[in-house]
Amino acid sequence: MAGIEIRNLRAAYDKADVLHDVSLDVAPGKITCLLGSNGAGKSTLIRAILGLTPPNAGTIKLEGEDITGLPTHKVIARGIAAIPEGRRMFPKMSVTENLRLGAYQVRDEALIRQRLEKVFTLFPRLAERRDQLAGTMSGGEQAMVSIGRGLMGGPKILLIDEPSLGLSPLYVKENFRIIQGIRDEGITVFLVEQNVRQTLAISDYGYVLSGGKLVAQGAAADLASDEAVHEAYFG
Amino acid sequence: MDFGLIAQYLANGILLGTMYALVAVGFTLFFGVLDVIKFSHGDVLMLGTFIGFTAWLGLEAIGIVNPWIQLVGVLLCSLAGTALIGAAIANWLILPLKKAPQLNTLLITLMLGTAIREAVRLFYPNGSNPKAFPALLPDASVEIGSFALRADSVILVISGLALIGALNLVINRTRLGLAIRAVAQDEETARTMGINYTLVVLATFAIGSGVAAFAGIMNGLYYNEINFGMGLILGLIGFSAAIIGGLGNLYGAILGGFLFAGLQVIGAALLPFASAYKDVFAFAVVIALMAWKPTGLIPERSSDRV
Repeated sequence: MAGIEIRNLRAAYDKADVLHDVSLDVAPGKITCLLGSNGAGKSTLIRAILGLTPPNAGTIKLEGEDITGLPTHKVIARGIAAIPEGRRMFPKMSVTENLRLGAYQVRDEALIRQRLEKVFTLFPRLAERRDQLAGTMSGGEQAMVSIGRGLMGGPKILLIDEPSLGLSPLYVKENFRIIQGIRDEGITVFLVEQNVRQTLAISDYGYVLSGGKLVAQGAAADLASDEAVHEAYFG
Repeated sequence: MDFGLIAQYLANGILLGTMYALVAVGFTLFFGVLDVIKFSHGDVLMLGTFIGFTAWLGLEAIGIVNPWIQLVGVLLCSLAGTALIGAAIANWLILPLKKAPQLNTLLITLMLGTAIREAVRLFYPNGSNPKAFPALLPDASVEIGSFALRADSVILVISGLALIGALNLVINRTRLGLAIRAVAQDEETARTMGINYTLVVLATFAIGSGVAAFAGIMNGLYYNEINFGMGLILGLIGFSAAIIGGLGNLYGAILGGFLFAGLQVIGAALLPFASAYKDVFAFAVVIALMAWKPTGLIPERSSDRV
């Protein structure tokens, strides 16, 4: 059973970012990537899954159950977490408070503490700065908070929207390594990116979105050498 | 000026400041979560005070005359009733207008305030005349020189400050408070964290309205009189206080409340021959302050929003 199963989805956000009849599957335990340039409809797809922009038509299923049009907090309750585009810190909250918000629906304080420690082990820099206001941190550090926050809820499926946007090459490389690590722990990853080469290098399967339609799909290794992918971007 | 008079002004200022701060925090909380100004806040406060007054009439009618039991009954009915009204207004008037220009919300709540005020005047029995609010607190006082410290003032100030302290704890130390702050800073990301946005907005409006009702009951207990227009001036003062403090900032609203009370007291002290002009003086200084610091004394950028 697919982690996420999207059928004939039509949705629009901001008018420029429109989806026409998109169907795709996110396989459990794998990294599935969605590639496309700006305005291709990537953000709209993420927003539709999260219930932030209800779709006009089509269905979204999570582990076989229909979640189309559910309010966001109920989608999150089904085991999805998101690392949003642009990291989206709560700027006037501390690192710890930001991380705790990732576990907002977790009521077990011991479990929250355990996950906090896990995030601090993954990112020792955050442990040093746990009381610092997130808005005063560098882009790379905010990316760590954003990834850590996405893991705090203990998700089955993680949506990651353009994690490399605005980061230095060193952080980008580090980010991709961490995303692989997340997959290796058994978490299903749906990775939305513009960075073709590095994304395909860590993904298992990929889709290419252009002008709101899927123009190519396949095993990541095959897509990497596919002319259509390059056409979609540069053509 | 003698000690007794100064102490009297000070005690009065602290009491008024507490009351104004309780109204101002509502404006700041609502603005925090929804970026709206809810102009009906003062009239909802008035309605809450009338609910408390009606509860007192009911308790009298069924023969419960112990003032402490009456006080608890009045507060429970007033705060719970007003919290429900606040949440209802948010749910049916303010949230549906979320995508509309903010000016529409402002206009709608301005009209709602007028409707509430006129409804109480027309439909409450003999509503156009002031009501004698019962003195439920002990009327003892301690003489310190020429200054009489009233027990009821002390109780009102302590309980008002305790409520402000409790509100501060809720906002900064609880899960609900974390959610309110998250929504105030970034609504969409707050939703993405799994926060039930609508529920948090309703809870915020319930809390802000309940706290304002407490100020209304305070006002009734202190002056022993309430009327249908009391919310107009209290709402305007609370709004000014929230703006002076830097709208969206909890500490700013509290500071603004005390600052406005201080201005009124200074106005009354400077113009002893015409203390009726104390509001003119206070609002004139507020205008000057706004010209000097247009974004409030604690601008939002450099401080925690809500």
